[in-house]
Amino acid sequence: MQGLGALIQLGLPLLLLVVAYFTGSFVERRHYASIRRREQRARRLPVLAFRDVPPGWEVQEAALVTGTVVISLDHFKRFLANLRNLVGGRVVAYESLLDRARREAILRLQESAFEAGFRAVVNLRLEGFQVAGQGEGRGTAAVEVVAYGTGLRLARAPGGPEA
Amino acid sequence: MQWSPRAPRDDVNVSRTHPLSEAASLVLGIGFALFALVAVAWGTLEIAARWLPYDVESKLFGGLRPAVGGESHDTRPHDDAEARRVAVQALLDRLSSHWPERPYALRVEIVGAREPNAAAFPGGAVLVTDGLLRQVRSENELSFVLAHEVGHFRNRDHLRRLGRSTLVGLALAAIGFGDASAAATSQPFLLLAGRGFDRAEESDADRFALELVVAEYGHGAGAADFFRGLPDAEAGLGVRVAGWVSTHPVSEARIEALEAFARERGFAMQGSLAPLPEALAHDRAEP
Repeated sequence: MQGLGALIQLGLPLLLLVVAYFTGSFVERRHYASIRRREQRARRLPVLAFRDVPPGWEVQEAALVTGTVVISLDHFKRFLANLRNLVGGRVVAYESLLDRARREAILRLQESAFEAGFRAVVNLRLEGFQVAGQGEGRGTAAVEVVAYGTGLRLARAPGGPEA
Repeated sequence: MQWSPRAPRDDVNVSRTHPLSEAASLVLGIGFALFALVAVAWGTLEIAARWLPYDVESKLFGGLRPAVGGESHDTRPHDDAEARRVAVQALLDRLSSHWPERPYALRVEIVGAREPNAAAFPGGAVLVTDGLLRQVRSENELSFVLAHEVGHFRNRDHLRRLGRSTLVGLALAAIGFGDASAAATSQPFLLLAGRGFDRAEESDADRFALELVVAEYGHGAGAADFFRGLPDAEAGLGVRVAGWVSTHPVSEARIEALEAFARERGFAMQGSLAPLPEALAHDRAEP
């Protein structure tokens, strides 16, 4: 009986890890596909980190635009990161998470800027937060990235002829 | 100023390491290091358990009152419970007098758990469950169980066991299985850890117990009755699924090993059984 109990108690966490690996990488692959597809479209809307409007741009209107995203850690990544914690080194497991969050936030900023009729964004800033799972690994750890900047309505599209 | 649209680069901020190869190298590396560490600590503990001076053990663990078992199911008055404890203590004292080199006083504690069991704890505490006292049918049977625990004290298995469970607990905590929510998860690891060694220890304790019982009664009759009376917990699923996982060698094998040992030593295994002491006598109608 104890043997069976041990099997269940050992096997269950392991099963959870395997499931989390497959769901996690499926979700990540799908997200990257979406990011790459939308970046191809969005790259015509320039997003610059300059504080000032580049010379020669004729600004008709300016307003704050934001894009935010919250992305959750999966169980498998957390397991990897916990192991990595023991020995130190680059937490490779979290790199793709942050990469996705940053790119998704900028994409959302671009999309919302485009919808508002802006054709460029300057003074782009990025902030990262941990919105969940703080302290002792309780709850679901997730990272939030906020991208904000100044959307510009221009008389002429940058790098192109008439808007 | 000219701005030209470019596709963002895709491969700078994310390492190309595959998550599974990262997992494999981490698990293997940490596992190996931990294994080596535990092996060294284990060996140290084995030696320490053998050489720890008895007075130090008493000082360290003398005040230890193991928190085991649940509520007492015994509804009899308190005086009666004390009388039972005294009766078991007297029996234990008689048995351990045949081990004249015994380094410390052994103390009986009765815990109110239903399953028949007994255990040896550092510092000299012998735990006996209510369930055991209800199950035994003769003094000889109870004596063998008590003597078995005395055997653990002689071999200092109780110290080794304590060291092992602490060690495995620490090792698990180190890799993140030790936090409160996972305490239950770590239990099976803990139980599995010492099994193979435990069985040798149990057999040793059995042989020593038989020596004590024979010294007391002149024969070993009734000694193996405890194993015969064991509920089918051990004879059921547990045995078939994982015989080696079971702490105590499977009952039948233990009885055979005992009889072989008796033949080797020329111990008589037949004789008249002594009745249970007055305070422990129970009417059979009781559940």
